[in-house]
Amino acid sequence: MMLARVADSLYWLGRYIERAEHLSRLSSVMLNATLDQTDSGTQAVWIAMAAVGEPGDGAGVGSFEAAEALVLDRGDPNSVVSSLARARENARQVRDQITTETWERLNLLYLKVTDARAGKEFSDGSANFLHDVIADLHLFKGAADTTMSHGESWRFMMLGIYMERAQLVSRLLEVCFAESPTHGRIDDHVALVSVLRMACALEPYLRVYTAEIEPRHILEFLVFDEDFPRSIRFTTAQIEQHLSAMARGGVFSERAGPERLAGRLKARLQFADVDELEAVGAGPLLTTVVNECARIHEAIYETFVAYPLETRLPA
Amino acid sequence: MAAKTQTLEDAPTLPMTEAAYLPGIAYDEMFTPEGEVRPHYDPLHGRMSTLGAEELAGRQRTLERSFLLQGITFTVYGAENTTERIIPTDLFPRIIPAAEWSKIEAGLTQRLQALNLFLADIYGDQQILMDGVVPRELVLGAPSYRREMQHLYVPHKAYANVCGSDLIRQQNGEFAVLEDNLRVPSGVSYMLANRDAAKRTFPGTYRAAGVRPVERYPDLLLSTLKSMAADWRNDPQVVVLTPGVYNSAYYEHAYLARLMGVPLVEGRDLVVHENMVYMRTTTGIRRIDVIYRRVDDDFIDPLTFRRDSSLGAAGLFNAYRAGNVVICNAPGTGVADDKAVYAYVPDIIRYYLGEDAILPNIETFLCREPRQLQHVLGNLDKYVVKAVGASGGYGMLVGPHASQKERDAFGEAIQADPDNYIAQPTIQLSTAPCLVDGRIEPRHVDLRPFILSGEKTIVTPGALTRVALKRGSLVVNSSQGGGSKDTWVLAEENGHANGHANGNGSVRP
Repeated sequence: MMLARVADSLYWLGRYIERAEHLSRLSSVMLNATLDQTDSGTQAVWIAMAAVGEPGDGAGVGSFEAAEALVLDRGDPNSVVSSLARARENARQVRDQITTETWERLNLLYLKVTDARAGKEFSDGSANFLHDVIADLHLFKGAADTTMSHGESWRFMMLGIYMERAQLVSRLLEVCFAESPTHGRIDDHVALVSVLRMACALEPYLRVYTAEIEPRHILEFLVFDEDFPRSIRFTTAQIEQHLSAMARGGVFSERAGPERLAGRLKARLQFADVDELEAVGAGPLLTTVVNECARIHEAIYETFVAYPLETRLPA
Repeated sequence: MAAKTQTLEDAPTLPMTEAAYLPGIAYDEMFTPEGEVRPHYDPLHGRMSTLGAEELAGRQRTLERSFLLQGITFTVYGAENTTERIIPTDLFPRIIPAAEWSKIEAGLTQRLQALNLFLADIYGDQQILMDGVVPRELVLGAPSYRREMQHLYVPHKAYANVCGSDLIRQQNGEFAVLEDNLRVPSGVSYMLANRDAAKRTFPGTYRAAGVRPVERYPDLLLSTLKSMAADWRNDPQVVVLTPGVYNSAYYEHAYLARLMGVPLVEGRDLVVHENMVYMRTTTGIRRIDVIYRRVDDDFIDPLTFRRDSSLGAAGLFNAYRAGNVVICNAPGTGVADDKAVYAYVPDIIRYYLGEDAILPNIETFLCREPRQLQHVLGNLDKYVVKAVGASGGYGMLVGPHASQKERDAFGEAIQADPDNYIAQPTIQLSTAPCLVDGRIEPRHVDLRPFILSGEKTIVTPGALTRVALKRGSLVVNSSQGGGSKDTWVLAEENGHANGHANGNGSVRP
């Protein structure tokens, strides 16, 4: 049992945490790729900007300025600093539900990115700055995992993390491979490595496919891998698992909503394969994932948070 | 360990201070007027003397960082953006010997018991008003008097379940009550946070001193709240009601909810249906039995009190009246901490308990009495004048520190509405050593202990010591730039300390 408002805050806490990590990584990879004067760098900038919804030709604005805005622009509600501020605001709302260890990791990070010196630290060494932000977010997740009870509070936060991740990874893959993995816009080796880095997937990919970096394999890994925590199959399975665990703890009858939707999405991915994607392009499947996640999001609200009171009052 | 025979000139010169620690005319917690370290301060004084300025500054930084990290902050609203600041917290604990504490404990217990009986009476048969002990119009005309509470049953007659009384130590070393806070007193989380910090900062000294623990406060609060629930409710559901994250005491609300393990609710989480109070949860609505509300009376129910408030829940008061939920502290308790009623507390204690007050009041003049008004107006330079309804250091005149112009203006305000003002002599609050700008200097302090009252009345052996951080200032409110420090209540007198602990004033009669 937990307050509906609290569940809402924990869910968004998870989403903002994941968003901040993803944006930090995109910025970091983008900046790194442009250190070398090659076309691949330009492609990496294009991929990153398109994945955050700001496609351009990658030439208009310098990658440093783009990354700086993506990370530190407090006026942009979608920047890293805004995401962290919102994550912390949600955490403060539910301060009684999360452990001190978890809270302190987030608060520390918030204080760091909102500090007056953050701008200078970023320009002095953006790679170090972003590396530390990502590492701090890992510490946050680790603290949550090892100190919070894995009950309802934790599940709502994890649900937020995986919902956000499924959408972010789908969006990244749509940008790169929507048409077809073999006829995608990305063909350059360095640019492909950048895509793997943006999904935090390079090292796990290499262990499965070795250093043969091919669009088909990347798609297969990031959509279908059973064990990689950022693959779409993995994230949707997690969403389904958390929702069914919450439904088991529930006492209401119309439990079908979000759990059923998540189960259907999971099954859809279970029975698709990479040959199918190669034949018709990855676009339709990725669009399905994004749309289904939006429907699950709405169903979570209807079931747990914004349900009509009349249905729950005692007779 | 410091020698016992130091003189005022050399004794207080701690190694890291540029200037000597020079207590003023006020009672000093650490030194006697002769410059001797009071025995119960010996261990701490010894430790202070061995720490260099850098070491102290380092510990102070660690302490501040820890508060910042934990989010023990209040919000400052600025033009550009809002920032969070920590409450200034001083490194050095304030130490209170066991014998002094037993008197404080007995005095506060007596006081709260009498005040609860007073509340039960004025919201019941009003015997004390009929007997003319307290003026009827003073009570019934007070803005904090709630007619809606008349003839309402409150379990154990415990109207004020949580009380934070402000005590000060006068020049003669005696503690006296400055005011009672019976509405929604705050600061207990700082008492607990300061203790955590002090244990980390001076672990050895802490262990050696034999300090009584304060950690049980949350579970004592929970059992106090549960004792207020209707007997027939099994395992009552307790919640803490907060105005939300924008309230300056939000940290405390969240802290207490977390340590009690109960939900922290806001008005928008509550639903009142057929005189029962529920909260909206992920698995439907759930009944609530006891609300520890940290929202003022005015805001708990727009149907009964202020209509424009969304901090409480519509219908909450009716549910309370029907006995389906308990509100702690009870609405209307504020009438007993009214600054004018305060003057009558010794009479109230005598009336209900047949005892003299163990802790004295500060001499108080009521401007509503024409003769006292004339006296106050003629001596504005000597008195602190306070508006009856105000708190937090607002609406007050500190006569000796004010300009003639300020005194004239305040005099006019008093004459325009004499009922609204009381006056008290300026009291030299005692001083205690504080780390200020890298030096150890005396600063004025008060003492806010916390008393719980439900089925039983319990005083936590500890308190929030508030500090006026500006040199010479007597204003300790955090809203006026005050800070706080930990308070160590010693478990027993340490041998040789007996009889010397109280400087020029004896503690026990």
